[in-house]
Amino acid sequence: MKTPLPMPQIRSAIGYDLVGRNLLRVQRMRDERALANHKPDPDSPMNPAPRSLVNVKELMSAHYLKGRYAPGVHKVAWVTSGAPVEVLQALGYVLIYPENHAALCGARKMGAELCQAAEDEGYSKDLCSYVRTDLGSIATGKTPVGRLPPPDLLLCCTNICQTVKYWYEVLAEHFDVPLVVIDTPFLYEDAHDHQVEYVRRQLEEELVPTAEQVAGRLLTDKALHKTTQQAQTASNLWAEILDRSQTRPAPMTAFDGFLLMGPIVAMRGLPETTAYYEKVLAEMDERIAAGVGAIKDERHRVLWDNLPVWYRISRLSKTLAALGVNVVASNYTYAWAELADMFDPADPMVSAARTYLHPILNRSTSHKLAGMRRMIDDFDLDGVILHSDRSCKPYSLGQIDERDRIVEQAGVPAILLEADHNDARVWADEQSAGRIEAFVEMMEAAS
Amino acid sequence: MGPFDKEDHVTSVAHFAAPSRQQTLGRARDRGLKIVATLPYHYPRALVRAHGFHPMEVWAPPSARPDSGAMHFQAYACSIVTRGAAFLIDGGFDSVDAVLVPHGCDALQGLGSVLRDFVTQRPPVLTLYAPRTRRPVDLDYLVAEYQRLGASLVDAGGTEPDARAWEEAFAVEEAADAALRGLYADRADLALTDREFYAAVRAHEYLLPEDFTELVAGLPPGPAPRPGVPIVLSGIAADPPALLDVVNDAGAHVLADDLSTGTRRMLPETTEADPWQRLAQSYLAGPVDPTRADPVADRVQRLRDLVQQTGARGVLVIAPPFCEPEQFYLPALRKGLDVPLLYLEHESGTDVDGQLVGRIEAFVETLEVTP
Repeated sequence: MKTPLPMPQIRSAIGYDLVGRNLLRVQRMRDERALANHKPDPDSPMNPAPRSLVNVKELMSAHYLKGRYAPGVHKVAWVTSGAPVEVLQALGYVLIYPENHAALCGARKMGAELCQAAEDEGYSKDLCSYVRTDLGSIATGKTPVGRLPPPDLLLCCTNICQTVKYWYEVLAEHFDVPLVVIDTPFLYEDAHDHQVEYVRRQLEEELVPTAEQVAGRLLTDKALHKTTQQAQTASNLWAEILDRSQTRPAPMTAFDGFLLMGPIVAMRGLPETTAYYEKVLAEMDERIAAGVGAIKDERHRVLWDNLPVWYRISRLSKTLAALGVNVVASNYTYAWAELADMFDPADPMVSAARTYLHPILNRSTSHKLAGMRRMIDDFDLDGVILHSDRSCKPYSLGQIDERDRIVEQAGVPAILLEADHNDARVWADEQSAGRIEAFVEMMEAAS
Repeated sequence: MGPFDKEDHVTSVAHFAAPSRQQTLGRARDRGLKIVATLPYHYPRALVRAHGFHPMEVWAPPSARPDSGAMHFQAYACSIVTRGAAFLIDGGFDSVDAVLVPHGCDALQGLGSVLRDFVTQRPPVLTLYAPRTRRPVDLDYLVAEYQRLGASLVDAGGTEPDARAWEEAFAVEEAADAALRGLYADRADLALTDREFYAAVRAHEYLLPEDFTELVAGLPPGPAPRPGVPIVLSGIAADPPALLDVVNDAGAHVLADDLSTGTRRMLPETTEADPWQRLAQSYLAGPVDPTRADPVADRVQRLRDLVQQTGARGVLVIAPPFCEPEQFYLPALRKGLDVPLLYLEHESGTDVDGQLVGRIEAFVETLEVTP
């Protein structure tokens, strides 16, 4: 009797390995050629964008393409952006980050439509727009990545907000798959031993057994060591890349960083991520050596606090550049860099417990302020834009006091820019432009 | 007149007497207790008492000036946070020895962090992070977290409890909890309107446990007035209290609740000898609660059970705007309940307005004609 053909494997081999990846490679080469042959626009305030942006498009597209063909070939886990994924990577899961997917929808200007779809399902317009975007995508099937693979496992870590626990309970109900929760107590002060121990035990007693059971294989020390090592190396590289913007002129903008960060968020622990960031770092060094800044006339250097406004990244970048402003740093992109030293491949569980307790969003408002003060000094900044993001309360509540202290103590202008990271219906072009212009005037007066 | 004196809206309408908040401050201090202002809403009362403190809860005080809160929080922070902050900053801090901010949601997290980091001239601000799941690993963590809170109370001027202090604390707090359960059990046989009933329930938020037990024992017997159709009340709080008069006037009465200021905080007693274990076990065995991010199906089932047990014709959910814990479950509740559901968003600490009245009246009319 003939063994039935493993259709999912065949589909994956053709759709992903044979056709999809090669098409993406061809597309990337075309894009690179176009970028190389691009005639600089003398009227544009921007210098040519880093070619790494072309590469990241290929890498992320391949990631979602692999996910599309994953069912029946690989186990799929949907995970939160601050989740301890090294265990899942070591078990061979394909990981989907609903937040990253939502951001992609936002950047492709689909956020408002998908938010509305979720609201039509009964979800409040006051819920996080990432949540509404993804629930809207599930309800309508609309996505810029073709098709999202349904999860075999959900992994939710509360170190970015409590919203994710509610969100993943909804997903667990919808997909009827196991949900593993890694609950990370919020750190109002330094972490206490019982908090680290709590997270470690959840990793060992909740995540590992469930992930092994779903995967149908056992986690090995060697594999976990390897993914932890990869995560640390990539995080260190990412930190180095971001720190290159301490140079004047900065070789990239934080808006570039928002796009370049995709792999460190969604593909942390994989060798291709490490390899990619090695190339990005090399490119940044090339640009610095050649004196190529991200914008042509970098008169003001600014910090961006909070998530980006995904649907206005390009326009904001150009608007600010035209005013001589380069947003050279962001504590959001730094969130995946600042914990690099906490990883310890020799002790992956305890170090993961420490690492995943300490993201900026799981730490106090004073910690966040101290980080911004440090960046103002390290990057020699002239001002701070605090994106008051109605969809992200953990990041935003506290900003009023943070702004006041930045102005009083660091002596640089700072503004609150009211918006929402993914719901374009909240954005007011005229009002935002007015605030940005006033902010630039304040910086000019202070210089 | 102290800041707490302005906040007696809860009991002032009821035709029973209870010590005011300001009087309670004095009565607690007379017993040698310090005062900890406590934000909503899960915290171990017996632990607080055993360490020499009396908790006085702060739920969006109506007297608070929203402007003072707006100096620290954006408009999308809920009114429990902004009014709570304003109340403390505008004088509340001066009346208490410590503040406790349990981590009930992202907004309360922000409140705790901002008070600790950016507000000076204040008593110690203590925190508590309770787990969002109910697994064995959560129990061990919660015991350690309660011990951390205990140490914080000692640092704030409290006392390290000995066996006797624990015993006394459990005795008075469990008696008050039993009185609360009795209040619900005897609801049909108490001559209290809905507004009066919840005034009595919510007196537990500030009274000494001994006074609360006495208050409940003295409530007037008699058939409860039950106008119109029966409903279940869910959400955060029936705030403002006059909202319950609106419900009654519209032709409905409350038969049961699933409120954060009601049955969600009725925890089971355990027989565990170790006080820390006893408190942690009790918390983790508490009712399904959206503020604990419990599974969707469990939340739906709890309300289905309440409706079925009471024969309620509808469910009224009340929460302040931007209340994520309540909002997330709404689509599932609307699909999973066999009776109509009305979700009312209303700024805690503000008065009843025409829109609120209109929506409640329309809802009750719907129930009257729904078979």
